[in-house]
Amino acid sequence: MKKIILAALATLTLSSGAMAQESLRIATEGAYAPWNFLDESGKPAGYEIELAGAICEKAGLTCEFIVNDWDSIIPNLLAGNYDAIMAGMSITEERKQTIAFSDEYFPPDPSRYVALAGAEIDFDALTGKRIGVQGGTIQAAYAEENLAKDNTIVSFTTADQAVADLSAGNLDAIFADGAYVDPIVTASSGAIDYTGPDIMIGEGMAIGLRKEDTDLTAKLDAAIEALKADGTVDGLIAKWFDGRGPYYAN
Amino acid sequence: MTDDIAFWLSYLTNGKHLTWYASFQFTIFAALMGGALAVLFGLAGATARNARFLPLRVLGTIYSSIVRGVPDVLFFLFFPLAFEQGVEWLVATQVCSPAMVAAQTAAWPPCREANWILGTPEYLMLASVSLGIVYGAFATNVIHGALRSVPLGQLEAARAYGMSSRQVLWHIHIRQMWVYALPGLSNVWMLIIKATSLLSLLQIADIVLWADRLGAPNFLPAVGLVHADWRWRYYLVLFVFYILVTWLSERVFEAIMRRVGKGILSEAHA
Repeated sequence: MKKIILAALATLTLSSGAMAQESLRIATEGAYAPWNFLDESGKPAGYEIELAGAICEKAGLTCEFIVNDWDSIIPNLLAGNYDAIMAGMSITEERKQTIAFSDEYFPPDPSRYVALAGAEIDFDALTGKRIGVQGGTIQAAYAEENLAKDNTIVSFTTADQAVADLSAGNLDAIFADGAYVDPIVTASSGAIDYTGPDIMIGEGMAIGLRKEDTDLTAKLDAAIEALKADGTVDGLIAKWFDGRGPYYAN
Repeated sequence: MTDDIAFWLSYLTNGKHLTWYASFQFTIFAALMGGALAVLFGLAGATARNARFLPLRVLGTIYSSIVRGVPDVLFFLFFPLAFEQGVEWLVATQVCSPAMVAAQTAAWPPCREANWILGTPEYLMLASVSLGIVYGAFATNVIHGALRSVPLGQLEAARAYGMSSRQVLWHIHIRQMWVYALPGLSNVWMLIIKATSLLSLLQIADIVLWADRLGAPNFLPAVGLVHADWRWRYYLVLFVFYILVTWLSERVFEAIMRRVGKGILSEAHA
């Protein structure tokens, strides 16, 4: 009886492994507009979802998006729950030790501080402040390393929770991807504004992959390169990021 | 005015909201399944505690005292993970070849072929079993006490009528036990209902997770309606939902109590 159950479980996992070869399962957070978010109908949408559509068409793959929490997105890739990550993830040396990255599909972008308008923050002697970040991000790593000694770093599971807490006055500032806070600053019509220095961390955003999947990485790299050359990537960046770019046009 | 109503109606019935409404099924399923399992575990635990066989008695006592002391959140995180890895380990002993193990880069599972991908149905089952185990420990205590509250005279009378010990157990002892157990079990049920708000910890897109997502402030028209932090409004809906469930549960328990108490309660009152 035990053997039968085990055999059944084995075929179950084996067949799901075999299916993953034909189609590409991509994980995203679904809470990081405009890169990825859930639209009115509850389905993933945004820059990365449209870009993935183009990449998969070029590479001849059937792609499917899976929504996964940000904090477990790398462990679940390694465990094999899906094959790729497109979730506004920046390339860093630290992440490269556990996963591989495709070529970048979003250029390196400065991280920025935002605070409620009129807040006076002395960034030369930053002490005693409450600074919000999304946990497990490059900004969180930077803040833990450089700011944690004299300030309180408040970590949130999603970026929009940090923004909500800033609006509620519970934080002095938040530190996040520039392209993430740009539309928020614009939409707040003066309530939230940039402050402090821009800090360059991360090496651009790319698809996160397992190290051993070298064939898949090469296939996706070729597709990204072709889409950069024909202007598709620039077009999508301009569409979703308020006319930014072009970055990859020759 | 009619424009306003039409707007809110379409906003509250967009796909995101419909998914939220649908997610109530997870909460209700987990509560009912968890509740049923808790009673089952409670009966088993109480039987073990009353057993003649010493190791069984020790097991029952250990179960009800240790599991009651572990915070439900902790157990909720521990049990499904331990179970998943246990299954993966078992599968790995059967399917993993040394070459597969060598090809594996992640720390777990031993080889990729042994990976068990858990979806919402699997997590929902594991969550229900976790609830069953945790609150079964409380139910054990309640049922154990209730079994001892049944008047000895009732059991003696049954035996005097020539009933076998099994008949005494099922037709008299456990049948009458419910009257004493129900007030305690209704308490356990309330705790289970409250604990269903933990489902999102197991990656189940439940009512709490969706309330969080829908209420999060939105600044981009491309994403949907631009609004400030509305989380409290959505939490308020959950508040009302849980109060309604509580009210409904009380009515149901009253009805059950009347039923099982027939002939027993009136005697006690007389």
